[in-house]
Amino acid sequence: MSAKLLLLIIKISWLSLWRNKRRTFISLFSIIIGTGIPIFFVCIAWGFYAGLIDDVARLMSGHITYEHKDYRNSPSNDLWVGDTIKINNTLTNNDNILFTKQIVNLQGVAHTAKGSVGISLMGIEPKKEIAISFLPENIIEGKYLSKVDERLVVVGEKLAKNLNIAIGKKFVFTTNDINGELTEELFRVKGIFKTGSKEIDGHLIQSNIAIARKVAGLSNDEISQLGIIVKNPDEHEVLIDELQKSLAKNNGIFLSWQKIMPDVATTIRMDRTAITFFMIMLVVIVLFTMFSTILMSTLERKREFASLLAIGTQQIELKVQIFFETIFFGLIGCPLGALVGVGVAKWTEGYDMLNVVGGKSEDMSVGGFGMDTVITPLFSAPLIMQICFFFFLAVQLLSFFPIHLISKISITDELRSA
Amino acid sequence: MNSNQEIVSLKNVVKNYGSGQVAIKALQGIDLKIYKGDFSVMMGPSGCGKSTLLNIIGGLDRVTSGSVIFNGKDFNLLTNKELSLIRRNEIGFVFQNYNLLSVLTAYENAEYVLMLQNIPISQRKEKVMNLFKEMGLEGLENRLPRELSGGQQQRVAIARAVVSNPLLVLADEITANVDSKTAQSLLTLMEKLNKTNNTTFLFSTHDPIVKNFARKVILLKDGLIDKEEQASKNI
Repeated sequence: MSAKLLLLIIKISWLSLWRNKRRTFISLFSIIIGTGIPIFFVCIAWGFYAGLIDDVARLMSGHITYEHKDYRNSPSNDLWVGDTIKINNTLTNNDNILFTKQIVNLQGVAHTAKGSVGISLMGIEPKKEIAISFLPENIIEGKYLSKVDERLVVVGEKLAKNLNIAIGKKFVFTTNDINGELTEELFRVKGIFKTGSKEIDGHLIQSNIAIARKVAGLSNDEISQLGIIVKNPDEHEVLIDELQKSLAKNNGIFLSWQKIMPDVATTIRMDRTAITFFMIMLVVIVLFTMFSTILMSTLERKREFASLLAIGTQQIELKVQIFFETIFFGLIGCPLGALVGVGVAKWTEGYDMLNVVGGKSEDMSVGGFGMDTVITPLFSAPLIMQICFFFFLAVQLLSFFPIHLISKISITDELRSA
Repeated sequence: MNSNQEIVSLKNVVKNYGSGQVAIKALQGIDLKIYKGDFSVMMGPSGCGKSTLLNIIGGLDRVTSGSVIFNGKDFNLLTNKELSLIRRNEIGFVFQNYNLLSVLTAYENAEYVLMLQNIPISQRKEKVMNLFKEMGLEGLENRLPRELSGGQQQRVAIARAVVSNPLLVLADEITANVDSKTAQSLLTLMEKLNKTNNTTFLFSTHDPIVKNFARKVILLKDGLIDKEEQASKNI
């Protein structure tokens, strides 16, 4: 087939679409909807996961955590990592890292006149926490911590209720230091937070890292965990290998958030699997609809094809014409579908899903962490392009059968039926 | 006008549809010759095999037995692709329902075959425009088929069939969908093309108007040639 003939075929393919707007619109509509729906769902679902992962990582110990190699199995107070000032300085200069946060975790018991509750004291750097975590924004009473607050803490709403403490009230925190010695500290409540997570609101308190170090008996260079917030969470595995080789000390290990928070990771994985399964079913239905539309638009042109074959067009030329028509359909329909999917997802941004599903925000949790019910879509260009490309390929594959039917056309039968 | 150059030679052509007891014998042994410059008409009652014979001569259908020699080439020995190339380069078709490509303009429809034949654009334009002028289609070049009357569409279909100067033009019931005045003008036009370009025409029709223009009339009956006569008008 010569280049000139190919150009002619491409021209006719284009004219077939351009000058037959009704048929073109119907076929394009099915491709646009077919591509748009999965992109919409993926933007919403993946945005939800990304938001959840980011919130949890920022609240707890980052997308990547540096901690004692045995801390995962038994998070006791005496498992700490050292030399962290040097490590922290190196990490701060890494272009892939947004923030680092030093954490001293102490498991212990809080006592008040009402009783005792097992809690987790999280010693943090208030200035960084304000920049990184959403917890400071969730103070419902009092104020969040500042650098100068020594024996002041913020506590979860449920914990405050269980201990019957309010702003300005005191409680005693009992724990073990790194040498296994029992130690106590008196804390006063500066603020009460509410994250929506029963576990966090019922068991977490935050204090300045300096006092937590003092209670634990750690030096300024020692912490329980070093949390790392990365720029691109999807590529954190590569960074972990790099950091493990270059920075980890003998007893330290860099771990991903999936290993630090396996409950969250598993829940997200299961939810993603369910969504993927749902999407596959949706895609099958959508592809079937697209196939029917493409098939019908080919079948209704059998007479036209028969006339073309009669006047000397060869089957291969006709097949190439249909193939180019579907390429045009794909090239126009898939990006338009992506725009529609992204547009609708953008339109729903900021909408609270509770308005649709009902219930309370505190009932919404994943792996023990409160879930943000406000829609925050994730517009991942590579992911959207992948879906677009998939549907583009699907449209081309779906056209194979209608193209194959051209070889079955009986010119005389079609012209006679006309 | 006709010469002794034989374009089509049919020998004992049989065409059956289906097989066994339900087989329909459309053609039962046709012997026919078409010469260059002929202006012939096939007539006969419905179901006598006119369209089948036209399709076989045009390489649109294959014979059950017998042979079709077109310009020295035996259709039985040709592949579908080779038959398609013969239709493209040596045969023009005019159909009852025009069968113009709905997405192409009148000009583009007529130009289509020339494009398939890889004729340069300047020559294509010259040929099509000259023909349109000759056929009274001037000013209608940019209209889509749906924007043309039945007669105008049939003129475009004739232009498409003759624009590449094919050896043979096959016309199947071309006056069936137009009024008698239009039929008259179409046939006058084709007669003119036959005389000026020596284009060979073979019609299949019920219409007596067509017979009036023919120089040879082939009467078919029950899949056989009942009578072949030279029309008195042009003898």
